[in-house]
Amino acid sequence: MPGKAKTARKAKSPARGAAAGTDDSIDTLIAASALALRLPIDPAWHAAVKANLQLLLRHSALVEEFLLADETEPAPVFRA
Amino acid sequence: MLETAAADLGWSSVAESAAAVAGGRASSVKIVEATLARIRARDPLINAFTAVTDQRALDRARALDRARERGERLPALAGVPFAAKNLFDIAGLPTLAGAKINRDASPARRDATMIERLEAAGAILLGALNMGEYAYDFTGENPHYGSVHNPHDRERIAGGSSSGSAAAVAGGLVPFALGSDTNGSIRAPASLCGVFGLKPTYGRLSRARTFPFSASLDCVGPLARSARDLALAYDAMQGYDPGDPVCAERAAEPVAGLLEQGAAGLRIAVADGYFKCKSAETVYAVDRVAAALGANREISIPQAERARAAAYIITASEAASLHLDRLRSRARDFDPAVRDRLIAGAMLPASLIVKAQKFRRWYQGEVLKLFAEVDAILAPATPGTAPLIGQKTFTFDGVELPVRPHLGIYTQPISFIGLPVVVAPVPLSPLPIGVQIITAPWREDVALRIAHALEAQGVAAAQRPPA
Repeated sequence: MPGKAKTARKAKSPARGAAAGTDDSIDTLIAASALALRLPIDPAWHAAVKANLQLLLRHSALVEEFLLADETEPAPVFRA
Repeated sequence: MLETAAADLGWSSVAESAAAVAGGRASSVKIVEATLARIRARDPLINAFTAVTDQRALDRARALDRARERGERLPALAGVPFAAKNLFDIAGLPTLAGAKINRDASPARRDATMIERLEAAGAILLGALNMGEYAYDFTGENPHYGSVHNPHDRERIAGGSSSGSAAAVAGGLVPFALGSDTNGSIRAPASLCGVFGLKPTYGRLSRARTFPFSASLDCVGPLARSARDLALAYDAMQGYDPGDPVCAERAAEPVAGLLEQGAAGLRIAVADGYFKCKSAETVYAVDRVAAALGANREISIPQAERARAAAYIITASEAASLHLDRLRSRARDFDPAVRDRLIAGAMLPASLIVKAQKFRRWYQGEVLKLFAEVDAILAPATPGTAPLIGQKTFTFDGVELPVRPHLGIYTQPISFIGLPVVVAPVPLSPLPIGVQIITAPWREDVALRIAHALEAQGVAAAQRPPA
């Protein structure tokens, strides 16, 4: 609703962890992304890449579960 | 007199060196020669420098001495040595940014704006300083150029990614140095090496001709052994620069002359909740600083854990985008620990990154409200003192965590929205630790006044390390 102030709040959140993915789905994401982005990944690096991606997705889940008003502007480059 | 000044140079302040040169009690050449001798003697133990610009420094020193002989008035920082993290362009050198890959880069054709401004103020560049690869690091461990050793205990890390900057200052090699801070890369090494560090407001100081890391977070700033030295260097670097698209169109707001106003009358609170660390040295340092400032009040920075998570995501994605082509063509030339984080960052869905950017807007609005109630917030800078070189995990509040990504746990929620911070070192035995003094945007003056007041009370100090 334009003009109506909306207050962000914590989700009660069925979505918690939605971004974190299952173990198999992370493997699939890595394989597909590597192909799509033309990133050569040595099999020896896979476990570390996976651990880092899982950590990023855990952080993402924490952010994702926080409900924001639709009108919230992103702040990609911002003025402090 | 010259010999006395040179002998004491290892621990003399910016103000003392400049006053000695301006007053004719020391020549710039003598100061540079003494600094070079100290670097030759001490740097093999610390590994702070990746290049020493000796000829350039001596040429510059001779020019300053000739100017003085002609009776010219010398600029504020005349004859003061400094060095810069090797992500700042230095004309004639490749800008390494801590990376093996960048050895193949063409030499920079022009100095970074910050180096130009410091030299215009009379300071003399002595060289380039070691750092974590592409600044994606909190440890200062670098597989290509070697780990930087903490001058207080050379078995321990200096912290990163401005590892060489903090170690060079703490080790008495230069009185101040330039670093950069995206998520805590000035503040973490300042804390672990026991020196003062200033991460200015995002957009305050120009990043022109520096190698980027995460563009929406990157800041540059000084590290020094006193709040006054930080202020003197900071004042020389301020001002708009069209060479950096996010540099604010603000006139310089000099701070050095305001330091004696001290902390009286300022409303200072201690961050609670997320920032309540259980490690004994961290608790002691924050409590000591709070007591000295009469900061009895606690304040909650809302959603700080989520802010750290969002900063983590944005950093990973922006850095991955920056390095995507190098990941395709030269993946084996990266530090493996950096490479694997970058590859993971490249795979993060854009929808999650945009959510983090939207959260940033919300969080900024909420945190800025706090500065209607307080002028400054105190928080730990690092979750403990310096870990050992090679140490992979540390215990934090009873939980074992990896060192590399977690040393910035208290710094990331603050730089996430570009707030200015001064780290004030608390000299504990056997190792120092820093406290963050966080202020509203553009109020570096308040943070520096508080840091100066803590020094005056003997609570904060850059302690000289063992020989």
